[in-house]
Formats: sequence, C-alpha cells, structure tokens
Amino acid sequence: MAGKQNQSIDSSYDVVVIGGGNGGLGAALKLASKGVRTLLLEQHNVPGGFATSFVRGRFEFEASLHELSSIGPADRKGGVRKFLEDESQCDIEWLPVPEAYRLILYGEGLDITLPFGIEAFKDTIAQRVPGSREAIDEYFDFCIDVSDALEMMNRINKPPEKLLRDFTDFMKSSDKPAREIAENAKKMSRFLKTVPCTVDEVTKRFNLPDEAVKILYPYWCYLGIPMSRLSFTIWAAMLIDYMKYGAYVPRMRAQELANAMEARIRELGGHVEYNTMVERIIVRNGKVTGVETAAGDTIKTKQVICNASPTVAFNEMVYPKNEVPKIAYKYSNARKHGGSGFVLYLGLNKSPEELGIKDYGFFISKTMNTDDIYGSMNRLSNPDMQATICLNNAVPDCSPPGTTIISFTTLFMMDTWKDVKPRDYFKLKNSIASDIIDVFESSTGTRIRPHIEEIEVATPATFSRYGNTYGGGIYGYELDPWDAPITRILNMKNEQYIDGLTFAGGYSFIGHGFSSSILSGRAAGQIALKNLGGK
Amino acid sequence: MEKSNIFDSARDMASLIGLLPERNKRIKSASDAPAPFDHVRDLASKLHPRRLELVISSVNYETPTTKSFIMKSADGAAELPFFRAGQYLSLRSEVRGVSISRPYSISSSPNDAVDGGFYQITINKKDGGFFTQHVWEEWEVGTKLTSSGPCGFFYYDDLRDSNEIIALAGGSGITPFRAMAKDIIENDLDVKMTLLYGIRLADEIIFDRELQELAKQAPEKLSVHLVCSEPDEKWCGPTGFMSANCIRELAGDITGKTFFICGPQAMYEFLKKELATFNLQHKHIRREVFGEIGDVTVFDSFPKELADKTFDLTVNIAGRKHTIPAKATETVLVAMERASLAPPSQCRSGECGVCNSLLMSGDVFISPENDGRRLAHKKFGFFHPCSSYPVSDMEIKVMRS
Repeated sequence: MAGKQNQSIDSSYDVVVIGGGNGGLGAALKLASKGVRTLLLEQHNVPGGFATSFVRGRFEFEASLHELSSIGPADRKGGVRKFLEDESQCDIEWLPVPEAYRLILYGEGLDITLPFGIEAFKDTIAQRVPGSREAIDEYFDFCIDVSDALEMMNRINKPPEKLLRDFTDFMKSSDKPAREIAENAKKMSRFLKTVPCTVDEVTKRFNLPDEAVKILYPYWCYLGIPMSRLSFTIWAAMLIDYMKYGAYVPRMRAQELANAMEARIRELGGHVEYNTMVERIIVRNGKVTGVETAAGDTIKTKQVICNASPTVAFNEMVYPKNEVPKIAYKYSNARKHGGSGFVLYLGLNKSPEELGIKDYGFFISKTMNTDDIYGSMNRLSNPDMQATICLNNAVPDCSPPGTTIISFTTLFMMDTWKDVKPRDYFKLKNSIASDIIDVFESSTGTRIRPHIEEIEVATPATFSRYGNTYGGGIYGYELDPWDAPITRILNMKNEQYIDGLTFAGGYSFIGHGFSSSILSGRAAGQIALKNLGGK
Repeated sequence: MEKSNIFDSARDMASLIGLLPERNKRIKSASDAPAPFDHVRDLASKLHPRRLELVISSVNYETPTTKSFIMKSADGAAELPFFRAGQYLSLRSEVRGVSISRPYSISSSPNDAVDGGFYQITINKKDGGFFTQHVWEEWEVGTKLTSSGPCGFFYYDDLRDSNEIIALAGGSGITPFRAMAKDIIENDLDVKMTLLYGIRLADEIIFDRELQELAKQAPEKLSVHLVCSEPDEKWCGPTGFMSANCIRELAGDITGKTFFICGPQAMYEFLKKELATFNLQHKHIRREVFGEIGDVTVFDSFPKELADKTFDLTVNIAGRKHTIPAKATETVLVAMERASLAPPSQCRSGECGVCNSLLMSGDVFISPENDGRRLAHKKFGFFHPCSSYPVSDMEIKVMRS
C-alpha cells in the first residue's frame, strides 16, 4: 500500500479527474474500484471541495452540508449509501437527522414540525390543514409514481438515448403479472407527462389548500429556483427520497465523507495529488490529450473527468482556445447559474437544552412564495428565507458539553455581490449576519446573541475562494424543465463537444446537492470506463 | 391491459421529446461570447490572494532591538488587500538556501493597506531563532518577500466580543494591538480598548509614544498601561508581571469584557493561571497563536523521558523518500526544514492546516492547545507537522508545495 501512496505523478493515466469535490471523488472512487489507472488532482490540501469542515476554537463546523438524501438506514440503504458502502467500502459513520424540518413562516404565524416517513409527513399536514387529506394523498401518490418511474429507468441502466425505447421493450417482454405492468405503465405515464412541467404547474392540479402547499414547499431551497420554474420531476424525486430514506449526516462532518472516499481511492491504487491546480485541459482535433497543472506537470490522458463546471472548463481550461467550439460557449451561456451561499456559523457557549433548541433543521421565512424569496436573493441584504441547522440535534457530541453549533444558510444570486468593495466586506458580512440572528431570535423566541463564542461567516467570495466556482456558485445550473437532469441526459450525446471530456459534480447532469454530485461522479466514472473500452 | 398497449399515449412520449427542441433552441440562440467577468472571484482574490509579492520600502528602529519593516506591493499595486486588524502574514524567505516561512502580525492598520498601499510588520531581535537573526541581518530596503494574504482569527468581532476589550500584550506581542488601536480610532469603531503592555526593560517599549498619542487623541476608545518587570530607578509606572491583581487594578471591572492576549509562550503560561482566578467564560478569552512552542516539555502530557531522544523520520515528498533525524523536542516541521525539505506551512501553530500531512506509521505528541486537526483528519491519519513532536520513528507523506 505504502508504495502506491508514495509514487510521484506519472506521465500518463487512463483517466485524470480534475477536482476532489463530491463529483470528482465519486468518479475517482468508481474508476479506482474498477482498477483503472486514475489520477485525481485537487487544488487544495484536503479533499471534499465544499464537503469540508473547519475548526474555530473549541468548535469544528460543517462548512456546507445540511443533510444527505439517498443514504437511508443500514438495513434499507439508499443509492448513495449503496455506492459508498457496498460498492466502494468507504468507512463513514452515518447519523440520522431526527425530523424533516421545522417550518416557521414568521410573517404568517405558521410554526410546524414535520417528521420523516411518507405516512407521518402526510398525517402531520392533514392534521394541521383540515380538509386536505384527500388531496395530500393524491399528491403523494403522484410524486411516488414519478419517483418510482425514475428508479425503474435507473435500473435498466442503458445509454440514455436508448432508455425509453428499451423500457418499452423491457415492459413488453416482461413476464411480470399484467397488474404490475399496468401499474408501472401508469407510473411511467405520470412521469412522462410531467417532465416538461414546473412544480407549480403540477401542484396546482391537486386541490391542495394554500396552507398545505406552504408546508410542503420548503425543500425548494435545496434546489434554489422558484417553484414556478423548478422541474417537477426533480422535485418529486427529492421529496420522496427524503420521506422514504430520511436524511443523514456523517458523524465527523462532511470532511469524514470526503476523507473516507479519498482514503479508499488510494487503497484501491488511485493516485491523489494535492496542492495541484489544473490550468489546462489539452485538446487536439476535438479530443482530450492531456492536462497541465500550475505546478508544471504535463500529464497525458484521453479521458478527463472535470469537477469544475462547463462554464469554467470552456472559458478557462480547455487549451488551445480555438479547440472550444462556439456551440460550447452557447451551451454554457444558455444556462443560468444557480445561487451562491451566505452562511453564518456560530459556536454557542450554552447547550441546546439550555437554549431550548430542540430541532435539527429549521426553515425560517417571511413567506413561502418562492418567487418573492428568490427575488430577495438579488438584494444585498438578509434574504427572506434561512435554512438553519443545530448540528448537536443530529450529532450530540459535535461540540464540547455545554455548547452548541448552529449555522444559518441563505442564498444570493452572484451578481448581487458584484459591486462589494473589499473595504466594506467585513462590515457587510456582519450586518447581514446580525439580521439573520435577529430573525432567528424573534421567530423562535430563543436568545443566542449573548452566547456567541465563535463566529464565522462565509459569503459568495468565500465559496469562490475555496471552490473556485464561477461567481462563487454553490448550486449548479438552475433546474428548469428544459435543463433538468432528464433533459440533460437525453441530449448528452449531442452536447459532447470535446471527446473525452466528461463532467461530474453539481454542474453536471444530475443536478446539485451532495447526493446528486456523488452519483454524477459515479456516472461520469462509468462513462469514462465505457470510453476506455468497457473495462 | 394488453402488454403491447402499454404506451398507448403517444402524447406522453411527445411531451418528453418536446423538451429537446426547446433546449436546443435555447442553446442555439445563446451568446457565443466568453462568460462575463467574474466579479465575485475578483473580490475573493482582492481579499484573499493566494500569494503576495512584497518589497520592503523602509526600515525603522522602534527600539534598539526592534525594527519595523514597511512593505509594499512588488509589482507597484496602489493597494494591498484589506484585512481585519490583528491578522498576520506568513512571510517566506530563503535562509541558508532553505525556503522558510514565519507568521508575523501586521502592525499597520487595515486602512493603511488600502489608502497607503502598505503593511508594516515589527520584529524584535531577541524573539525567535535563526529566522529572526536572518531577518535582522538580511532584510533591507529593496528586499523582496513572498507572503500569504492576511490570515488568522485574532481580531475583534462586534457580534461575538464585548465592545469593551482588555488587551494583554507582552514584548513584541504588542504588534497586532497597534493595528487594532489604529483601526478603532481611524474608523471610529464603538469599542473601548484597555491595553496592558508588559515589558521587561524600560527601553523595550515598542510604539511607546505612538500609543500614548493615540490614547490622548481618543481617550474614550483607548487607554494604555505599561507594566515593567525589571524597572530602572526612573520608572514610575506599575511594575512586576501582569498578575490578576495588576489586571484588576489597571483594567477595573472586568465583568463581561473580552480579553485579547498576545505575547510570548511564558506570558501565556503565566496568564493562564492568573486569569483562572477570574472564572472567565471561554468566549471572553481570545488568544493569538504564537508560532511554535518554544519548550514543549512544559506540557504535563508530554512524555518527558523522551526529551533527549532523536528519531528517524522518513519523509515522502514529491515522489521521493528521505530519512532524516528528528528530535522529540522539535516539531516535525522544523526537522524537515533542517533537512532542506520545505513543505507548505503558514501559522506554525497547528491552527491553519496548511502543512496537513499523512502519518503513515509511528506516533507524535500534539499539545491539546495546539491541536487544530479536524476529526476526520484524525480518523484517517492526517496531522499538522508544525505542532507535532515525534515520539517514535515515523514515516509521513507530505503534500507538495
């Protein structure tokens, strides 16, 4: 093992993975486990990208993770857990998040805590909103069907352009009972019908009372585009995944997830090199031939998996410039960059019990009109909605006895920060942070300000500094129906502008978020494998 | 239902396929120009440049044994990155052919960086070892230095700290407080700083006149008290060490106020005991990391029987393997630097993680106060050589610079 860890960078690899974020790690893990000669290059000296943590005083803060979907309990694993544990033997200790969320709409006097589990979730809404039972049941049945249809498509595991045709064949040749086939056909039909729809378009067809919709909608902020635009398919998949599998976090912050993947990549013979920023993806006649790093390495490869976005790759990395076809610029310009984050991290010198903080995840908002909230992300002041996490309520020993870790996330569109001057930066950070604290205190009745022992604030500039994403983005391209995962996958072949260049991570085809990014890495690894001749 | 009629609804399919023309139309009609200028990255690089090239523009004696170095941008930029008063720079210099870095607090104010285009650092000849000696002998006007951007977490924060702060400085630990005092006054911050400055000899007071003048200018924001441990006959102020009594006498009521401490290791050890009598909350004590621990044997948990030992340290760096001697009382980082192996480093206090390395075999001692490792790094065998002492033969992998 030691021998493999010590090797210097060789002059050629089967696959070079650029960037050790969730997508890059997922890709390298998949490839290394198949014995492919893989080099992972990471600009920083730790793996993870935004899947990381940092220490201030007595506290180790979670940098960006709120909770992972697709993990599930050990006896009923979700897709991400299966990949990490069963396929890849990564050593991660998962802890369940106790409840779905507590929603506080302080402008409307709504304060409700929602449990995980489809039935329990539905029951809670039905109890709160009289007369909503039937509509809630129908809505969830519909979402479950769409989510099941997606899973069926995953199981077929064929190239995307053949997927639908194959599905028809699969169903036709199936020896399953007719009832099951009919049931599956209904699911497929519901899925297909709603692929072009936004969440609002579908939700409005169910007679859900307004209040029920408000209680249902808070997860939108994990995707970051208003429900009047968000693809219904991805929404249904996310909602049902959370309800079915619950949410989990690694005991030692997301850094444990990243380091577990990294350690496993090395054990499997993959090579990981840190402090190594890739400056160029060398392309000749439309085909990848290698990469060059800022440290002066030149590495030959025909397959690059890029954890950076197409925007960054086409604008800054592909070399020479004339190897970037015009259509590639159009492709990245056509898409809209999602939000960047603003996160306030507090280490408090009282325990959650002393403070009276009982919940893990809070969505606190003025309103649940997602267009209005999205609009507020374009102004340089505290946006309307915050997603707050009290880490101790999922990881009780995450901070010393008698203390609490709490973090508050809001989103900003990147242009909002474009005129901020360095001189005003620190003051601006604290002024927004102060407003966030005020909102939390007044809406929960919990006093936290006097107990701040450690404070840190991350802004779009912070995310730009550590992730080097365009505009400091933490979410990938926005998931309108025309740019939702299904559409991206169906058109993937047409959008392969440079042979041998595959994207992984939040800006690739499955969409953003930890679980999607990890799975996109796995999928990118599979594509590279296929390109290499199906090892 | 007949199996062959599963997809009787051609419309379902069409709705899906219909998305592709929309996507293709959007892509075709989009601009083929490069992405617009990234203002956020520009802001990030102005605040946190990956490195700075500086040149010394003037050198001034503060005391017979203390010099201030004024540094400007080597490429003539009119501004240097803004920062938070109290932060430090990690400055790199070639010492006897080896590239070594040391953290130095910025003693100039954040406004000076933007309005005057300079940083000042202030170094006492008596502190530190061969690096300080090198600085003293070699650095002069025109010397070029590579630096980190401003970094560190020793600064006043209005959401966290009391706006009444008690600053305890020892020796050249006064440097971040000059920056803070100037920042408070120049920017009219709503902060009152009571500065207690411990010195050994009367001629060792750094920034003496300047601090007095600042205090005169804004007595409601700054008061300065000098405490001399070895006074001569002309000394008329408080004497001795900064004991709990001395602090209470000079700073008055300490309830709810935030302490900021910066000074040599011996002062921390002394103050740790003195401040314990105040029963302060953690949040009310902010301590600057002070670089390498001078004497690791003062920690109870250090295995004293190993103090004289030297171990074999095998270092994997840039694809090569070197075995070098490493003393139990010197950090793994220092052992590597002695052998001309220069891994990246910054704070030299276990805090920043820049020197993060993989411990493949063997063991290290890490003082609990300087253990800035993340939990996951402990689990997967990473450590910070700058705050770790070898207690056995060991093999490590160090990341490239």
